[in-house]
Amino acid sequence: MSGTRVGIIGIGQSEFKAKRPDANYPELVREAVTLALGDGGLGLDEVEAVVCSLAPDALLGIGNAERLAVDAVGARNKRLMRINTGGSTGISALAAGHAHIAAGVCDVVLVAGADKVGECGDSQTILNKIWDPTYERSLPLGTITMLAMSATRYMHKYGMTEQDMARVVVKNREHAALNPKAHLRARTSIDEVMASRMISWPIKLFDACPQSSGGCAMVLASESYIRARRREAVWMTGVGSSAESYYIGDRMGNGYAADHADAQALGEACQRAYRMAGISDPAQQIDVGELYAPFSNTEFHSIEAAGLADRGHSPALLKEGWFRLGGRTPVNPSGGVLCSNPIAVTAMVRVAEAALQVWNRAGAHQVKGARRAIASGNGGDHQLFGAVVVEA
Amino acid sequence: MELMTRVERWDITYRHALGETASWFFAQIRDRKQIYGRRDPKSGRVLCPPRAFSDQTLQPTNEWVPVGPRGKIECFTIVYEPFKDLPEPPYAFGYVLLEGADTAIGGYFKGVDLSDGAVAATRLAIGTPVMTQFAEHRTGDVLDFWFTVAK
Amino acid sequence: MTKAIKVGLVGSAVHAPRVPERMSLEEALHAVAMAALRDAGIGIDDVDGIVVASCDQLEGRAISIMMASGSVGGVGRDITATPSASEHAFVLGCLRVRSGMYRTQLVISWSPLESDSVSQAQRLGADPYFHRRLPLDELSSFALQANALEAEVPGLREAAIATARKNRQHGFTAYPEYASAPREAALIRDGKVLRWPITDGMVSPPAFAAVAAVLASDDWIGARAGCKTAWVNGMGWATETAFLGDRDLARLDSLTAAAAQAYREAGVSQQDPRFDIAEVADPTPYQELLSLEALGLCPRDRWVAAAQRGDFAAGGMLPVNLSGGAISFNPVFCNGLMRIVESANQVRGCAGRHQQAGVRTALAHGASGFAMQYNTVVVMGRSAREMQP
Repeated sequence: MSGTRVGIIGIGQSEFKAKRPDANYPELVREAVTLALGDGGLGLDEVEAVVCSLAPDALLGIGNAERLAVDAVGARNKRLMRINTGGSTGISALAAGHAHIAAGVCDVVLVAGADKVGECGDSQTILNKIWDPTYERSLPLGTITMLAMSATRYMHKYGMTEQDMARVVVKNREHAALNPKAHLRARTSIDEVMASRMISWPIKLFDACPQSSGGCAMVLASESYIRARRREAVWMTGVGSSAESYYIGDRMGNGYAADHADAQALGEACQRAYRMAGISDPAQQIDVGELYAPFSNTEFHSIEAAGLADRGHSPALLKEGWFRLGGRTPVNPSGGVLCSNPIAVTAMVRVAEAALQVWNRAGAHQVKGARRAIASGNGGDHQLFGAVVVEA
Repeated sequence: MELMTRVERWDITYRHALGETASWFFAQIRDRKQIYGRRDPKSGRVLCPPRAFSDQTLQPTNEWVPVGPRGKIECFTIVYEPFKDLPEPPYAFGYVLLEGADTAIGGYFKGVDLSDGAVAATRLAIGTPVMTQFAEHRTGDVLDFWFTVAK
Repeated sequence: MTKAIKVGLVGSAVHAPRVPERMSLEEALHAVAMAALRDAGIGIDDVDGIVVASCDQLEGRAISIMMASGSVGGVGRDITATPSASEHAFVLGCLRVRSGMYRTQLVISWSPLESDSVSQAQRLGADPYFHRRLPLDELSSFALQANALEAEVPGLREAAIATARKNRQHGFTAYPEYASAPREAALIRDGKVLRWPITDGMVSPPAFAAVAAVLASDDWIGARAGCKTAWVNGMGWATETAFLGDRDLARLDSLTAAAAQAYREAGVSQQDPRFDIAEVADPTPYQELLSLEALGLCPRDRWVAAAQRGDFAAGGMLPVNLSGGAISFNPVFCNGLMRIVESANQVRGCAGRHQQAGVRTALAHGASGFAMQYNTVVVMGRSAREMQP
């Protein structure tokens, strides 16, 4: 029946690494699926539909690679579709899976994917191809340069410094040291971040996410299935999404709807998810955030878009310790995207980590007493955004 | 255990139709060294680079408006890392709000000493006035122009 | 207990310019989106969400939803993408409306011609582990399937030629300015062989088109007068496995599975499904015949007789592909959504020159991937049926 409540009953993540020469793409998907099914205590035969989470095909070097993953997800003669919204793919795939169940069409949906970003020759060269060939492709745009420009505007608007950015890296690496699934786990210091190689001013090597390989899978189920089989679950109570203009230059100048310094559409996505979940005061009601931020500066506008701080204020609050484990509202206790970025599934991992938190299963990086979490994903040229509220 | 790899290259040529709006814009740059924006009648905003319709209002744009050559920097970055098939670093680029336009257009910033990033960043600070420079030989492409810091 | 929400298609548009180079792709998508909204009698503010579908390799853009987003009203809106197939965008659009979270959805797909070679772009879909070095594009895969079928069905070739002729004839009625020639059986039979046994009379070269549809919930439709609605009474989708060598190319079990889901929901008999018209995937005539069998409409031992009798031609027992199908006009990636929109328009009574009188129920089938790996079935009707659980 329509409007069914949707729960998460199984979660599987690889231990993310730069390269996985031991497994091809379908095998990596299968690894995550096996972990998720084992976690949920069910077999492939109970899965009624699969949603494949797969971002740019060029990163894997295979056109429509999800077709190769059919057997890895046990989908022969079953429902299958694939979602691609760039970096937010993982959270959009979960939203699509959620719709399958909320529509009353399926009781059990598997959402799965994997990436091998480390195997691709040069991901920035491919990511340059996301820009419009008419006006922007001739420019050396890539996700790093594009978000470096967001940093320069955020600095101008709110006074953020390079040290503020470094502080985000230090926090997230501390967290990742406690997360066996994270790719980059070495602790670091502000000095070390500041001394790392400059890539695109002001983003330095340590301010940037790694290129990770690995898979992630989650099993979603209807409330009636969960009750009938007495399964443990946590709940996707809010799902929202929004988008900005494709043209970066339209997010500045005069009369813009969104400023490239901020994450306006992420704010809209979070508001939609909060409204659905009945959350009116996220700063009070949210216990933990897993917010998509592939570069240190972007964690600030993501925190603000999630309503966990006022615009421009999060650098100061970070300095006071608000967003680290043990602080007021921990953000990215897993280490976040700064520590693992297997692009096709990174945004799904955000929801997986949020779910583990409210499920009290996050191990050493557990936020004590967490019951409500917000997870977010960003895609395209900081254009497409998804948000999910997960509750115990 | 021997692990093999297979090398593959993606190499396809695409011919993207620019449409009448963008084609006219590039022809003016090539032939007359003049940049134009196009006005969205509903919001009044002059979109530069021009589009046939506004993605905010979904209305067709209706008026060509000459913009520049002066402008100001809206955002920038300076690249120090080499990326395959992208230029040799260091180089600076970003977005400029040209006089008369309401949205910013992308382009390179030239003529600034980039050897010290922190110093160069102050020279390219947001709000810095710039001047559009045109290439001697133009083909009708965004690389026909770039920006220098105005005195 | 909340009631099940029903979904109807209330607007559609196809943008198929004679000279695609005049407009940029963004402008073409803007045009088709606005045309679909006009057909539905609504503005963009009535749209709660958007699902797009296109193929990055055909486009030359790495995340094609990005470019499309602004053109189709995505700014500030919930927009997502299903690059697996154009028909999957329709499926997800329906699921989103049925979830109760959205009253309406705009569904758009497009198939550009900007790459130097559609075949080369498609070959990138072959796995690099074992099959990339083979000349495996979609046409080759359809030919492999055709040969597998010819080995099992005596006289199939003539039935295939008759089917190609039928669709070309239909296309000439429906869209004479686009329809591929030749239309005569002898010319189709003796045409240049592209991939044995497929001749150039049996397929159409890739064409550019963009297709859009507007979906809405029954409450939303009920609150407005005068919606020309095609109700989605049943929907199913399923996939084959990827390696062609792992499949029996002379069968299409995933289509049978997808049809079973759709027929069950729609209350249509699994053993004897009846419709007034059907729009079925026909990348070549062999796939149309295979699909008719998998859909339970014509077992293979009757293909030859049915083709000779004209059972599936205009005026026959069950007209199939009155639009002409892909054999007549082939916007490669969005063929699936085209079949759905054509079926829906027959039910809505606005199909145009090829409108069949009195269409109350219609079947649509879309397929994508090598040798029809993905199959999607949609049953539409003039009245909304109670969905069977």
